[in-house]
Amino acid sequence: VTVLIHHCILYKKAEVEETLKRIQGQKGVQGIIIVNAEGIPIKTTLDNSSTVQYAGLIHQLVMKARSTVRDIDPQNDLTFLRVRSKKNEIMIAPDKDYFLIVIQNPSD
Amino acid sequence: MKLWMPWALSRCGGNRNSLHRNRLCLLAFQRGCQTRPVHTAEAEIQPLLNADNGTQTDPQDHLIYQLPPKGELRPESPGLRDFLHRVEDMVVKELASNAKSHAFDGFDVNWEDQNETVSCIHCLQHPSAQEKGLQVTSISWSCTGSVIACAFGRVDDGDWSTEKSCVCTWNLDRRGLNPKRPDMVIDVARPVMSLSFHPSQPSLIAGGLYSGEVVVWDTNRTQDLILAQTGMSTDTHREPVYQVAWVPGPRRGEMVVLSAGSGGRVLLWTVDSDEGRLVLSAGFALIRQQVPHNSALSKNRGSSNVGVTSLALSPWDLDTFLVGSESGLVLKCSFSAQTLAAAPPDGESVTLRAPAQFSFSPRGGPVHSLHCSPFHRNLFVSVGTDGLAHLHSLLQPDPLLSLRVSDSYVFGVRWSPTRPLLFAAATGQGLVQIFDLGRKSLRPAATLDQLTGGQPVYCLEFNPRRKDLLAVGNADGSVNIWHLSTELTEQGPRETAKLEQLANEVAE
Repeated sequence: VTVLIHHCILYKKAEVEETLKRIQGQKGVQGIIIVNAEGIPIKTTLDNSSTVQYAGLIHQLVMKARSTVRDIDPQNDLTFLRVRSKKNEIMIAPDKDYFLIVIQNPSD
Repeated sequence: MKLWMPWALSRCGGNRNSLHRNRLCLLAFQRGCQTRPVHTAEAEIQPLLNADNGTQTDPQDHLIYQLPPKGELRPESPGLRDFLHRVEDMVVKELASNAKSHAFDGFDVNWEDQNETVSCIHCLQHPSAQEKGLQVTSISWSCTGSVIACAFGRVDDGDWSTEKSCVCTWNLDRRGLNPKRPDMVIDVARPVMSLSFHPSQPSLIAGGLYSGEVVVWDTNRTQDLILAQTGMSTDTHREPVYQVAWVPGPRRGEMVVLSAGSGGRVLLWTVDSDEGRLVLSAGFALIRQQVPHNSALSKNRGSSNVGVTSLALSPWDLDTFLVGSESGLVLKCSFSAQTLAAAPPDGESVTLRAPAQFSFSPRGGPVHSLHCSPFHRNLFVSVGTDGLAHLHSLLQPDPLLSLRVSDSYVFGVRWSPTRPLLFAAATGQGLVQIFDLGRKSLRPAATLDQLTGGQPVYCLEFNPRRKDLLAVGNADGSVNIWHLSTELTEQGPRETAKLEQLANEVAE
């Protein structure tokens, strides 16, 4: 029975990795970070210090963006956030338990 | 083994006698077994040699600092797979359409005031030094970017100079800044040839003197400003010290002073502030015969020491440093070199090592300045008396690019701290030429005239904090602070990529 559960976990893990690979393979993607509800990074393709920096700052930004949307219309909610800068674009897909952060340089 | 089997028998004996009938007949079987005799023998052994051994795993004290590795071993987060299922399609669609989108083409945002012009905002002078005809030999910004220190001395004097000189500091952020009166003047008994502020403590300045001494001043003190000095001992340089710098020391957080002089020595000094002394902790000697791959120089007679006129530290690799010499050599050296220097011992307290590992193509005259690019680990630029700026890669001996800066000597060169493709060079004609490698033309992007009446410019430094300030030290004893235009300070798109492209070109 323990062998079966182990295989299930591995299968799930493989799926997660496959999905991340697909996203990473898109044109211009520089990095992907998955952050949990507390703002702690649980998966990343960047180096440690950048990851920690992005995770902390973006978590705060998403919280602010969400409260802005809901303050304007309490029936509304944040579905996606894009931050475009001179050098790249940060895309954030928020959810109840996780955020997916993708950094893309579209001109790469 | 014996086996007893009780057997009640009614047919034992005849019918007449009941006693006979009830008599139990017992039958007994007897069997036995026995192994064959066992063979035994006796013998003795004794080891002749004894050895003790033990094993122990290393203490894993680095575990506390580890973040979970990328392929991580932590238990799978619940719901992660489903979350990714939900968002994947949307994210991939957005990424794909963003890559094709032209919505933001040519869209620029100005957050800051655009400065179109380059202007000289301060002209700092120390009248008493100017009266003596002293020149600015070296300048340094403090780590906070508010204080500029300049060293006065002479570059053109060939004699053993015993002239008194000084080090002046101005705080540019202070109100009531008087360009003609320095905030602090430190009197020094000898001409100061090089200066360097401590990278994290804004009050410490290291200076190298014409006499070969190295001094560290603490501007926080009220009385004697000298925190530590080498004095004239057997360890000190015998020739002028043309470069001082602060490098990380063996212990964490500690910085030691590096000094390089025309005697061919590169020495590392620990600051002992209690004793007021700089103690020699390590040293390197550059001997011509130990310079790698250099057949051209063996024809030269004269001293076998390679006099150092400039030195550059690599911000990428703490072990590497570059040295430019009086004879035009540019060498890549290593702090961890172990080869002993072939110099006769001269009473030094540490054994000198030979640091040179690689020799770049030599220049036609002394190399006055070297600087490693803060944006690319393999690039550096060098200038010298041949009037050219050579852009080199650390990986090959020949330069990638050769730019004509001036018809006369070039004394200083610095990469811009904000624009990967920009560097500025100080010429002997009193001009600072700023070059932009992103441009097609090899002519300078900007020329700053120091208005020194044709006297040379000896040194220049970009402000480490405020990216639009450039300080320039002149032979007429003045220091000009320039405010650069946005074009020269704002990084353009794809500059790092273009620099990478430049670095990967192979020189013909």
